[in-house]
Amino acid sequence: MTARERLGQLRTKFGSAIRRADVPGDHRLFVYVESCALKAVCRYLFLDLDARYVVSIGADDRPYSGGFLLAHDFAFDADHLLCSVLTHLPAENPKADSISGVVPAANWAEREIRDLVGIEPVGHPYPKRLVLPDGWPENAHPLRKDAPWNEVPAGFDPEREFQFDDPPEGCIVVPFGPFHPTLDEPAHFRLFIEGERVRGCEYRGFMVHRGIEKLAESVLTYNDIPMMAERICGICGCVHNVAYAQAVESAAGVTIPPRAEYIRTIMLEVERLHSHLLWVGLACHIVGFDTLFMQSWRIREPLMWAAEKISGNRKTYALCLIGGVRWEITPELALELRQVLDRLETEWRAVAAAVSLDKNLQKRTRGVGVAGPALVKSAGLIGPVARAAGVEIDCRRDHPYAAYDRVEFNVITADGCDVWSRVVVRMNEVFESVRIVRQCLEKMEPGPLQSPVAAELPVGRLGLSSVEAPRGESHHFVITGENNRPRRWRVRAPTYQNLQAVPAMIKDQQIADMTISLGSIDPCFSCTDRIETIDLKSGETRIWTQEELIRNLRP
Amino acid sequence: MLSLSKLKEAWLCLKAGRVTLPYPARGRPAPARFRGRPVFDAAKCIGCAGCANNCPAREILVCDLCQEIRVLQYLGRRCTYCGRCADVCPEKAITLSLDFETATDRIGDLRQRLDLFMSTCQRCGRCFKETSWLDQLKLKGYRFDDVQNERWVLRSRACLESEPAVDDLKIDLDGP
Amino acid sequence: MNLPRILLGGLANLGLVMIVAPACEGLLRKVTALIQSRRGPPLRQAYFDLLKLLGKEDLESGQAPWVQRFAACLSPATALTVACLVPMGFPAPLNGVGDAILLIYLLTLSGIGTLLGGLAAGSTYSLVGISREMMTMIALEPLFAVTILAGAVHTGSLRVNQVLDGSVYATAGFPWSGLVLFGVILVSFQAFVQRAPFDIAEAETELMDGPLMEYSGPKLALFRYAQMMRLVVYSALFVGLFVPWGSGLAFPIGWLLFWAKVLGVVLLVTVVAATHARYRIDQAIRFFAGLLAAALGALLLASYGH
Repeated sequence: MTARERLGQLRTKFGSAIRRADVPGDHRLFVYVESCALKAVCRYLFLDLDARYVVSIGADDRPYSGGFLLAHDFAFDADHLLCSVLTHLPAENPKADSISGVVPAANWAEREIRDLVGIEPVGHPYPKRLVLPDGWPENAHPLRKDAPWNEVPAGFDPEREFQFDDPPEGCIVVPFGPFHPTLDEPAHFRLFIEGERVRGCEYRGFMVHRGIEKLAESVLTYNDIPMMAERICGICGCVHNVAYAQAVESAAGVTIPPRAEYIRTIMLEVERLHSHLLWVGLACHIVGFDTLFMQSWRIREPLMWAAEKISGNRKTYALCLIGGVRWEITPELALELRQVLDRLETEWRAVAAAVSLDKNLQKRTRGVGVAGPALVKSAGLIGPVARAAGVEIDCRRDHPYAAYDRVEFNVITADGCDVWSRVVVRMNEVFESVRIVRQCLEKMEPGPLQSPVAAELPVGRLGLSSVEAPRGESHHFVITGENNRPRRWRVRAPTYQNLQAVPAMIKDQQIADMTISLGSIDPCFSCTDRIETIDLKSGETRIWTQEELIRNLRP
Repeated sequence: MLSLSKLKEAWLCLKAGRVTLPYPARGRPAPARFRGRPVFDAAKCIGCAGCANNCPAREILVCDLCQEIRVLQYLGRRCTYCGRCADVCPEKAITLSLDFETATDRIGDLRQRLDLFMSTCQRCGRCFKETSWLDQLKLKGYRFDDVQNERWVLRSRACLESEPAVDDLKIDLDGP
Repeated sequence: MNLPRILLGGLANLGLVMIVAPACEGLLRKVTALIQSRRGPPLRQAYFDLLKLLGKEDLESGQAPWVQRFAACLSPATALTVACLVPMGFPAPLNGVGDAILLIYLLTLSGIGTLLGGLAAGSTYSLVGISREMMTMIALEPLFAVTILAGAVHTGSLRVNQVLDGSVYATAGFPWSGLVLFGVILVSFQAFVQRAPFDIAEAETELMDGPLMEYSGPKLALFRYAQMMRLVVYSALFVGLFVPWGSGLAFPIGWLLFWAKVLGVVLLVTVVAATHARYRIDQAIRFFAGLLAAALGALLLASYGH
């Protein structure tokens, strides 16, 4: 079904509740609805039409349209369609019906909108503070246009504490994080333990919230933002770099030269390779198997050198600008990349063969961290977590971008729904990525790397972009704006969705399996926490005093 | 316990030999295109401030002391080595060296300062032609009749005032 | 009860164990690095680590500081006492003073040292760690006790020198019970020395070092030293029980042979530790329960003279 046909379905069902629709092509649909019909439209899309929920976005549109903008993004993977349902809300006391009752996956997104933009989700099942630090005053919403990007609001109270939920009967509380050897980034999981079993979990995160979206709206410009987007994550930075550039290019109608598309594809797959090899090593380290950890990273290292030779840095490739890419892959570099990949593939086959026979590792990972297809649908899980449950979704095939429509590859799935299946999926995706890079290197024609951007970008256009990060779908939403910068830029990293399912995955499992379950979604907390905050000195990250640490560690 | 798969794994490891290097005892040079610390060549620089305008981290500051003298300072504290300054420089005065060992306990060590004697087109006051419209929007040429407004190319002053740690840098915000 | 002989022997054993233990740890780390394609730390690294820890400030954190101090001293003390009870190339100095039952108790006591340490610290993770340690101890110590008893049944004596001289093989016919016990202890040996796949109580990535979480500085040095010494002492016990051949040779050949065998055991521990992932506590307990059944079967065989 094309975008127009889906629009036709919506019009038939909702008639006059649909105020306006923009169909920029066969693969994008923007529908503006009345705010009272928003929940019904979302329910229809999610339950009746079986769309996948992506993210909810709130924007302060008061300087332009006089009110707030609320959007819910959905994806029709089989139709290759990304769809956004938008509504305008009044400037005074904006609120809308919460869709979390119907779409459990929207839980965090609505809480985030409430914290940062101030749109109240009416009827939300768990309206607790999500993103803002504990001491932030109420009614100070950082992403509003009148909130400064570099000042702490009056009323900030550094002594205020977060009210945690009470543990269920008979459980002790074991804090997991914010400091823990397995977590590279801070996050706080409050585990409710009975004996050795986890009975429940509460998450308090967003401790590395850096104010990226606010900076993009206030201080940076279109071509500065890719450098910042890349630093959203240390492992999947290129994904955010490319997704942002694509969102702006889609909004503004800029097409990039084919060679640039191939180069973007190659670097994205190089990134996927390095990320999966890193992850397999990390998963083994978590279960105490350091030798395989070292071996995975040894096999991965030549790839990092190749990336350094192509882009100038092992990881932060600084690849995209609006209109193209910055680095050329010369014939010598292409040859070297092929050699590296050949060697990597041979060694990885041996490792994969050895690991698939390893009973010791499988004992720790089978039946652990289970997330079945029902959880995948309701929590909107994506990436290897979904594919390990047999749900075949992959943005490279479902919403093709860059050069993915010109290469052939398989979408790897497994059926076990557990950590072991995720290991298998990631190990096999390595081979597919190698295949894609080889095809790109063959099919690339010489040509320019950048399209000239001849005029100022049009203002007020919306752009959506979904890129398959190693962890899942990374979705960017952009509204182009004045002064050479976007009006709104929302980043939804894959871990944002996958983390929401962790309490369900670890329930009734043993505490020893907590880390490997968490590790199996390949969490990237830096990707998850990237919206606004304030000045660097006080309040941005919560500094835990020694007595708070001691109090939290003792039962 | 030492089953076949374990023996296979052990064999894979031993076959690889030792791969770690004795760094920093022995240095390891970076490859040709590596983006290290930027080096500014004062002889080639024409003072267009394109680098300052396009630095995502706002670490390049420009100040006009008078009509003919422009001071360009690369502070280098939050530099992310992205290379945008080198990209947009019309005179190729900025090169990203292969130097990555830039740790220091004195922040002034990273600074590079260029004092430039400016001469401009008498008709339009501009220094060069920009490539993309997006970059053009950010370029401000030196116009000698607009010294008041064009004092600092840096867009926001907050990050300067709130960083007293920069003790050996005297940035005179309201100077001549 | 020749006092100077006891003192001299005791000093020799103690000195040897204290000097060799960090070297064995260094060897373990170096061989692990080799298996992992790394250079690894120098062999002297364990000595440096201990010296560094001893030089740090002795922070008092945890619920009961004096119990923590006591536990930190108890751990190496028991390991050293056991060292005096084990023949290391020549008869054990404390041979007449204690017998094999004392040996079993002392080994249990060293485990209790860790338990006390974790309990006194009182933080959530150390409590979870000691509960795992307790479960492991309950499953493991009987295995060792059964082995000693089987040896005692064969030789009819509980004296340490006799028990730790291949007593399990001392049957008239083919030593079935000895072989079964050899297999049992070999397979569970990693748990005795707290290495992968059975380093469950101190799983760094799960429990942040479990019972030892609240320790730093000199107290941590003592616990770590105790761990290193336990590796050597347990290896010596293993060699004495199951690989005794050549122990009767004259000094220094017998003595050198003994230490070569201990080194071999340490290398075996290293290789197994480097190539295995950690098991979960319930999987480990099930495993040990199976082994205990086998060991009891072997004891039964021993009592019938096989």
